[in-house]
Amino acid sequence: MRGNGTRTSLALALVLTLGGTLTGCGGDGGGGSGGKVSLRFTWWGNPDRAARTDKAVELFEQRHPDIDIATSFAGFDTYKAKLATQAAGGDAPDVMQLDYRQINQYATSGILLDLGEHPQLRTSEIDKGLLATGVVDGKQYALPVARGTETVVYDAALWRKAGVPEPTLTWTWDDWADAMRRLSASKATRGRVGSTDLGQSEDVFEIWLRSRGKALYTKDEKLGFTADDLTRYWEWCTKLRKEGAVVPAEQTTQMDGTVENTPLGRLKSVSDFNWDAPSSGFAPIVGEGLKLAPMPVGEDGTPGQYFKPSMFFGASAKTAHPKQAAQFIDFLLNDKEAGAILGATRGIPANDAMRQDVLPKLEGFDQVVSTYQKQFEGKLKDPPPAPPKGDASLQSTFSRDYDQVSYERMSPREAAENYITEAKAELRR
Amino acid sequence: MTTAPSTTPITAPGAARKRPAPARITLHICLIAVLLVMLYPLAWLVATSFKPADEVIASLRLLPSHFAWGNYSTALDGVNEVGVGRLLWNSLLIACGAVLGNVISCSLAAYAFARLRFRMRGPLFAFMIATIMLPHHAILIPQYIIFNQLGMVNTYWPMILPKFLATDAFFVFLIVQFMRGLPRELEEAARIDGCGPFRSFFSVILPLTRPALITTAIFTFIWTWNDFFTQLIYLFEPEKFTLTLALRSFVDASSQSAFGPMFAMSVFALLPIVLFFLAFQRFLVEGMAGSGLKG
Amino acid sequence: MTATATRPPDAAPPATGGKRARKRERQGAAWVFLSPWVIGATVLTLLPMAVSLYLSFTDYNMFDAPRWIGFRNYTQMFTEDPRYWRSVTTTLTYVVIAVPLQLALALAVAIALKSVKRGKGFYRSAFYAPSLLGASMSIALVWRAIFNDGGSVDNLLSGMGIDIGGWINKPGWAILSVALLTIWQFGAPMVIFLAGLQQIPAELYEAAAVDGASWWRQFRSITIPMLSPVLFFNLVLQMIQAFQVFTPAFAVSAGKGGPADSTLVYTLYLYDRGFTASHMGYASAMAWVLLLAIGLVTAVLFRTSRAWVFYANDTNEGGR
Repeated sequence: MRGNGTRTSLALALVLTLGGTLTGCGGDGGGGSGGKVSLRFTWWGNPDRAARTDKAVELFEQRHPDIDIATSFAGFDTYKAKLATQAAGGDAPDVMQLDYRQINQYATSGILLDLGEHPQLRTSEIDKGLLATGVVDGKQYALPVARGTETVVYDAALWRKAGVPEPTLTWTWDDWADAMRRLSASKATRGRVGSTDLGQSEDVFEIWLRSRGKALYTKDEKLGFTADDLTRYWEWCTKLRKEGAVVPAEQTTQMDGTVENTPLGRLKSVSDFNWDAPSSGFAPIVGEGLKLAPMPVGEDGTPGQYFKPSMFFGASAKTAHPKQAAQFIDFLLNDKEAGAILGATRGIPANDAMRQDVLPKLEGFDQVVSTYQKQFEGKLKDPPPAPPKGDASLQSTFSRDYDQVSYERMSPREAAENYITEAKAELRR
Repeated sequence: MTTAPSTTPITAPGAARKRPAPARITLHICLIAVLLVMLYPLAWLVATSFKPADEVIASLRLLPSHFAWGNYSTALDGVNEVGVGRLLWNSLLIACGAVLGNVISCSLAAYAFARLRFRMRGPLFAFMIATIMLPHHAILIPQYIIFNQLGMVNTYWPMILPKFLATDAFFVFLIVQFMRGLPRELEEAARIDGCGPFRSFFSVILPLTRPALITTAIFTFIWTWNDFFTQLIYLFEPEKFTLTLALRSFVDASSQSAFGPMFAMSVFALLPIVLFFLAFQRFLVEGMAGSGLKG
Repeated sequence: MTATATRPPDAAPPATGGKRARKRERQGAAWVFLSPWVIGATVLTLLPMAVSLYLSFTDYNMFDAPRWIGFRNYTQMFTEDPRYWRSVTTTLTYVVIAVPLQLALALAVAIALKSVKRGKGFYRSAFYAPSLLGASMSIALVWRAIFNDGGSVDNLLSGMGIDIGGWINKPGWAILSVALLTIWQFGAPMVIFLAGLQQIPAELYEAAAVDGASWWRQFRSITIPMLSPVLFFNLVLQMIQAFQVFTPAFAVSAGKGGPADSTLVYTLYLYDRGFTASHMGYASAMAWVLLLAIGLVTAVLFRTSRAWVFYANDTNEGGR
């Protein structure tokens, strides 16, 4: 065992260096180093958004040499789980990007800072209707970053070949259904079906409800529709599915949230429902013919779609530097130079002045989105307030219950009753 | 690892049985046939990394219509201004730290469970097995709070420290099973020679347990490398991200995804684990060779 | 629960006339060896487990303070939640398919590799290759492509006149494609079998060969008994892991457990309840029920193991 000594010391040295590297990595975060304030900022998105955000952050750090911003991002689904774990662990980042469905829960649980108390943060230029969606219990907990609206995204080339009249601003749900039937029947579409099955989408259901003068949730955070409404919707979807106007269950079940895995993305349908900005993902797959059509309206012409805040910025109630956090959010939302860098990477800006600046400079699909939104200017109703807490899981409950319908394990009525029971229980919590 | 200077390769047990050539050839043919089926999905993975954007998901054909090398150049650029080299280094650091931790701590604990007598051994052993049975999602949040209290969030400690504390009961159990297979006479002999438990652990038991230790090392490396969720939860700064984390940054449900580059990076991320496996798998062969069992 | 059933490894033979001091030294030594594990198990495992046990009796949404509700989570699980029972059935189906097939394949390949002389390293590496991947998103997308309508498996089977269509989008078949992903990655048990096979002294086979024992006889009387501790280890661990299966189901169904909940395995439903629906209390209760169930199965395995698992140090020599 004599030759053993060198090996042991080698192993020990390895442990020590490893330990050294580790602690060396974990040094920052406290914010005490050299009087510099350090903030953590997280968002969800893709590498393009990351590149632009980092550039804007650099500019902010140049202007505020005393503030250091550490940034991080992840894909949407993983971001949600990560943020929830951090929040539960009392470790929410100083500044965070939030989804419409998170606002209520995070605000009422004391995770978010009341941004209204910070005059550094100007809100005068932000669209009033959108601004209100970040208010919970009278306090401005989050600020809308950008707006988006739902669309029927379609392959116009195929549509034309099939000889179906193109959508208009005032087409109704019946017009839409007729178009889908004709598209599916046409030889020009080569076996592709008209549309994605809209039964699985709570977003589309909301627009359908609104076009009939109802809503997902009432102002006092109760359900805004009945089992009858939902049954009617799902029965209609089932009829369309059986007629072959929308894709069968085998296609619907493969959707995973990415545009690539939708029926249109997998070239099984001619059109799909999506939010306007994420529809850019269809461009490389569908090609030149890709177009955005308005959502169908109700029989009496009531539009169901609305400008929805596509995301918010909020700050942690526990942040050690609320002033700087507010400053930073103000910079991202209101600063002209920041606006020029960020462009429409988070959607068409909710800030009116910024929107006017950014719009002419947009390129590619961003321009398509802005043109699409322009036709609705002043014509849509105000967005509903942020969904009540407890709603977070209902979106997946919705598609799951419809899954049972489309695989014919439940009737639309049974599934609707099921959904209403679960929704009521969630909202009561 | 200290006593085995005999490096003479010894034929694996069982190989002594001579087989007629046709039987051997049949065996090879069978193995290759099974392999071909098994490697097909891997071929698919590699082929997909060359597919242009519109074919990655939509096409159900194995080969791309033309080779999109762009996937690789995008992947090699890294993510969020962090280059692939850095991501690779981070992954290696975590995986190697975890391997070191598991090999040391699990073999220590296993020796006590397998060979030593102490009070509460039965209940403690049962408890150790029980810790494997609780789904880790249930203790994720309490664990996060503990690491947050310790100031270890956004460091690599939450991925490495538990390994140095033998929390992977799987490997403790693995090594215990191996140690139990060793004849007790070995230690008896060592004891007669005057070896205490420490000496017999280091110089008798540990060398004989090498196959289990190598197995532990290989599994720990691969599993740590692929452990997306822990890395996601605990790492904040992109500079500290790993290849496994960066992979997922190419996919975002709320915008356009880059599946092509994601596949390219998957292939790239596979290389280090392949190399690690190739480097260490041959040690499995040694087995009990020259361990003293033979004579 | 397992405390009574699991048998700790056999201790040193009765210390005949051993001195007390020596015994105490051994006790002390044991705790030195155990110290890292004791710290880790207490702080990083026992403490979080205690917290999750507490949470299982509360309504906890991860954001607000947990609220004590007694056994409400448990009664709701057993009496009011049809999806819970669906997830139990799905998991049992998965366990019954995946565990035996994966172990059989791993053992078969390990034994075949043992008698291969040429290209051993190559085969071992190639068979292990799928296991290097884990269940990443890339492999999930590959799996979905292969088992889709018009995918490779569909084409092959329809070529043979079997028309199933896509597996991943058929409620009866989807869980099979998930199980196949696990079975495909049989590298870990294979390597453990291989390492176990190396431990079998060659003399046993040589002696048997001299006696003229057939291959099958050698397999039954030498390989299986000598391999039994490792076989037992693999069986217990694969069983535990199978009951907890998460990543393959999550990957293949994109986290949804579809189609029509047919791949919604227990842990996936637990994750859905905990992290998507933020019912962490309910999820914790599910976790503890699973722990008890697995504990029970493991206890039974440990009990039966006395009949068929053979440890070298229990008897003197050989294994006849």
